[in-house]
This record gives sequence, structure tokens and C-alpha cells, in this order.
Amino acid sequence: MFEELLEDVAQTNGLRETSTWLKLAAGLSAIVLCLLSTGYAAPLFIAVILSATILVLARVDIRTYAELFLIPLWFALMSVAVIVLISGGEHVYWSWDPLSFLSLSITRESINYGFFVLCRVVGGMSALLFIALTTPMTDLFVVMRKVRVPDFVIDLAMIIYRTIFFLLDQVRQVYHAQVMRLGYSGWKESVHTFSMLCGSAFIASWDAGDDLVRAMDARCYDGKFALLGENRPVELRPLAALALFLVATSAAVVATQGMTLL
Amino acid sequence: MSSIVLEARDIRYRYPRGQEAIKGISFHFRRGEKIALVGPNGAGKSTLLQMFNGMIRPDSGTMLFDNKPMEYDRASLRELRRKVGFVLQNPDRQIIAPTVYQDVGFGPVNLGCDEATVKEAVTTALRHVGLSGFERRPPHHLSGGEKKRVAIAGVLAMDPDVLVFDEPTSGLDPSGSEDLMELLDELNHEGKTIVISTHDVELAYPWADRAILLAAGRIIKEDVPDVAFGNTKFVRMAHLSVPTLLELSAELEKRGFAIPDRKPRSVLDMVHIIESQARGSCCHPAPGTITVCDVDILAAGAVPPWVHARPGLAVGAMGTRAKQCAATGQVALEFTYGVIDKCILRALRGKDSLILTNGSMVGRVAERVEAYCRESGNRIHVVEMSEEDPLV
Repeated sequence: MFEELLEDVAQTNGLRETSTWLKLAAGLSAIVLCLLSTGYAAPLFIAVILSATILVLARVDIRTYAELFLIPLWFALMSVAVIVLISGGEHVYWSWDPLSFLSLSITRESINYGFFVLCRVVGGMSALLFIALTTPMTDLFVVMRKVRVPDFVIDLAMIIYRTIFFLLDQVRQVYHAQVMRLGYSGWKESVHTFSMLCGSAFIASWDAGDDLVRAMDARCYDGKFALLGENRPVELRPLAALALFLVATSAAVVATQGMTLL
Repeated sequence: MSSIVLEARDIRYRYPRGQEAIKGISFHFRRGEKIALVGPNGAGKSTLLQMFNGMIRPDSGTMLFDNKPMEYDRASLRELRRKVGFVLQNPDRQIIAPTVYQDVGFGPVNLGCDEATVKEAVTTALRHVGLSGFERRPPHHLSGGEKKRVAIAGVLAMDPDVLVFDEPTSGLDPSGSEDLMELLDELNHEGKTIVISTHDVELAYPWADRAILLAAGRIIKEDVPDVAFGNTKFVRMAHLSVPTLLELSAELEKRGFAIPDRKPRSVLDMVHIIESQARGSCCHPAPGTITVCDVDILAAGAVPPWVHARPGLAVGAMGTRAKQCAATGQVALEFTYGVIDKCILRALRGKDSLILTNGSMVGRVAERVEAYCRESGNRIHVVEMSEEDPLV
């Protein structure tokens, strides 16, 4: 029920000390380039480069990464299967009309289109995971401040962030206590026990809110919360690496325009 | 005598729709004192502590800070809370920000300090509690002891005069508790008044200057620890137990040992009493020396060769930074808590020892040893280690 959290990986990753701006720029521009690309090769290229970066430079455990990647990949594969079956085309390899209003077919165009979508998903996924695994939330708060997100939003985000981990800990304790006393032994018991877990989580969060106000009061709270540290400076080597990545990917996008599988 | 910093005059408090939690309490704390509020669960310790910084307002009676009655308007409360720092029992409840830096800086920012001042306050506070380099860590990645230190740093960053700790050692392992008590001693040495609540008599007895026994919302006894804890009647009323050292000295007294007026507060005192009566003197003809090393001044590389050149030497470390220094230099530590007393005990057996420490604690070693020598009539030398020390 409680696996390792993404945030924990991000807090200890090998690129933690690299400037947040560079990491965000790499991830976001990779997503944009994936969307701009009209051939399947460029998104695949992005996926390979970013996955290699995550595994080698950020030193994320390969099993953690594979698990994270496989969950959305299943959804993508199912959607792609549907796309391949219903999108139709001229070069028909196989077709079947089970009902008058439904015709399923596999064509060269549908396979090309399906594969293209799959590559885009894989490229975009790796870009998102790159951001999630290398940039902890605490560093993002600083960026949010710099791009003028209103203070109250940041304050709220920070309190929520802090409280999530506190509550998760509480829920974990209650859950373990329930398991130890056989709370989840049968279906009926499970429903009952889970409702108790929700109830105690609610009470715990209520208490935590009370305590938060008291703790803030005790420390002279005066409406200022969003104190932020500094981000790491932009260094030359990562900057050069980012530039190289962007140039290479843009070149790939242009060079492989309209490239199809079949 | 130093001035009174906190005072209560016949305060009473009743929880809404509840029992009366505080039933008429009066006391005063002097500047620079170490006070232990001792009592069983539900005695009203926490409630009382929360009155010290105005979190709870007594129903009747007056609380005074710096001889002025506390005011409960916003501005006065802010000023009061800056001067009286409160460390909650559960650090998870006290740490509110997502990173250590942000949390420790919370107080100074809300006091309206500019960024440079905040940064300096945070750096100083973190160095104080031995957590330099933890600035960007999120609190949920810290151990219980580290969280406690972050909570303390958050309060220290506001530079309060009085520090109030609710059950400071609850949830810490024994060595973590000793570390923490050492930190409290260090803070006290810098002139801060420290108040703790606890039900751990063994912890409070050697540490406190004065102990206040509480039970059922009333003060049962308020005195120096050996008197407060020495009376079995009061101790039983407060659902506590007599500290082992006091019990032992009482038993020895019944068996004809002469116990001095000042009851033993530590193993060192006890050894002194027993040995000086059994053998006439508790001191080796040639007592060992205690060398003190300030890890801030001396180059980190100098200590290991110095230690290796002296086999049979015991090394102790006081404070987190000294311990880190020992770990990086791979110096095996024999003592990590109660270091000064243990080194004196060694010196009395004619053995040498080295104490690694830093800052104001260096002076404390000399002071403590000198105080012991004055009391016991023994002579133990304390030497400060310097760069020019010959290796062999």
C-alpha cells in the first residue's frame, strides 16, 4: 500500500544540485518538441536520451523507473490498440464488420498512426518523469515564486506539501495497527476497517490543522509564510548539455518530418 | 541574585466545559536558571507551560514577564513569543515548512527581518544545534532527534531569553536524550533561562537548578532537586520515584556513611563519597590530565595522529560538531555523554583523556573541573590542545 514516493526519489537524485531552471527547461521543451514532431523518430530519440539521463546522471534505480514507466504505458498500449483498429485507411491488411455500424480494420495508415501516437506518449512520459524524478517540490516552490505565482497559492501549496507527509505517516500507523489486528481479513471487514481509516485520517487532519495554527502563532506568525531558499546557480556544463540536447532534438524533429513506420 | 524573568501569581485555569487544570499556582523563575517542572501525566504541566508564552490565558491570577503583567493583545503577544521560545513535545507538530531552511527562518521572517538577517539567523541557529548543511532537506526525511533539533533551531532563530521545552526527550533514544540535555546545558551557559517539563526524574535530578513538583494542578514542592526529590512523601504524591542516586545515598547514610549536606548529583559525586570513606582519598597519587581540543580552531587533521601517538588515551566528544569531527577523522570515541564527569573519573584513576568540543563548551570543561577540584581538594590539570603540541 505504501511504496516509495516519487518525491523521495527526487530528494536524493543525482541531479538535485543542478539548477531547477535548466531541468524544467529540458523537460518542458522536450514535451513541446514531442508535440511538434510529425515523425515517430524524434519522440523516440527524446525518450532514449532522457531515460538515459534519468538512469545514469540522476542515478534513479532502474526498477523504480521501469515500474513508473509501465503503469501509463499500459494505458497507452490499450488506447493505441483502439486507434489502430478503428482509424481505417487505404492499404487494408485485415478487416472485420461484426455489426452494421461497427467495422474494425488494420491498415498501413492506422499502424503508422498508432505507432506515432505511442512514440509521442513514450517521449512525453519520459519528459514528465524527468521533471518529477529530478526536481523535488521544494525546489519548484522557489520557481513558482520567481514566476510570480501569487503568495497565497505558494503558502497553501507549502502547507499542503508539509501536511501530506505528516498525514501519510499517521495513516500508515493506523493502517499498520489495523492490519496487525486482522482488520482486512475479509471483504466485509475490509470495508468497515477502511471506513475507520478514513475517519481517523479526517480527525488527524483536523487536529493537525489546529496544531499548525498554534505552532505558527507561537512563532509570531504575521502573514508571511513564503520564505524561500535559493536555487542552485546555472552552471556552464549542464547549460551546455541542455543546449546540445535542444539542438540535437530540434534537428531530429526537422530531419525526421513525416517519417512513418511502414 | 539575578533578576526574575517569569512569575506567576495565584493563577487558575479551567478548560472550557472541563475540570480545573491549574488550581492556584505561584512561582518565579530567575534569569539563567534551569528549571524542571516534574509531574505525572495530566498534572497540568503542558497547560502551565503554554501560559508562559501566552498561548493560554489564565482565568484568574497574573502572569508576569520581566516584572510586567502579560498583556494579551496582538502586539504584546508577538513580543512575548519572541522572548519566550516554546518547543513542543512533538516536533512534527512544530515544523510547518517544507524545508529545514524555510522552517527555521519562519520566525525571523515574520518578525520582519530582511533576507540577509534571516539567512544569518538561520545559519547560526542550525550551527548551534549541529545541523549545518541540512538547509534544503525536507523535514520528513529527518530522524526524530534531528527533527527535534530543527524545532529547537526554529525557536533559537528568534533569539529568545527563555526557552520552554515540553517533554524534550520524549521519543528520543538514550544517547539522543543525553545529546539534547547537553545542548540545553550549552544554551543555558550562554545565558538563556531554560524550563523543561518531564516525568523522567533521573533526567531532571542531575540537570536542574530547581525542581517544581506538580500534581493535580497544584505545586507540591518547589526546591533544589535533592530536597524536592529527596522527600518520599512528596515524590509519592506526585506519582514519581526517587532518583537512584538519592535512594542510594539515603541507604548509605543509614549504614553509617557520612553524606555531605549537598547530596550526590552524579556518579562522580557518589564515587567521591564512597572512595574517600573507604580509602581515605579517592585520588590516584599522580592524577591524569584532561586535554581539551577546540575542533573549530584546530585543523581537523591534527587530532587523529595526536590520539594515535598516545595509546591508552580515552577520547570524549561534547556537541554534535565535535562528534562529526571525530567521525571524519575516524577517532574512536569512548564517551559521548556526561563527558566531563567521566574524564574526571578517569583522571582520578591516573589515566589521561582528551575532550573534543567547540565554542563556549571549552571554557565549561575547565570550569567544571575547577569546581570539582575546589570541592574535593583534588588536583586535576586541564590543558588546551594547540597546534604546536609535540606529536609524541
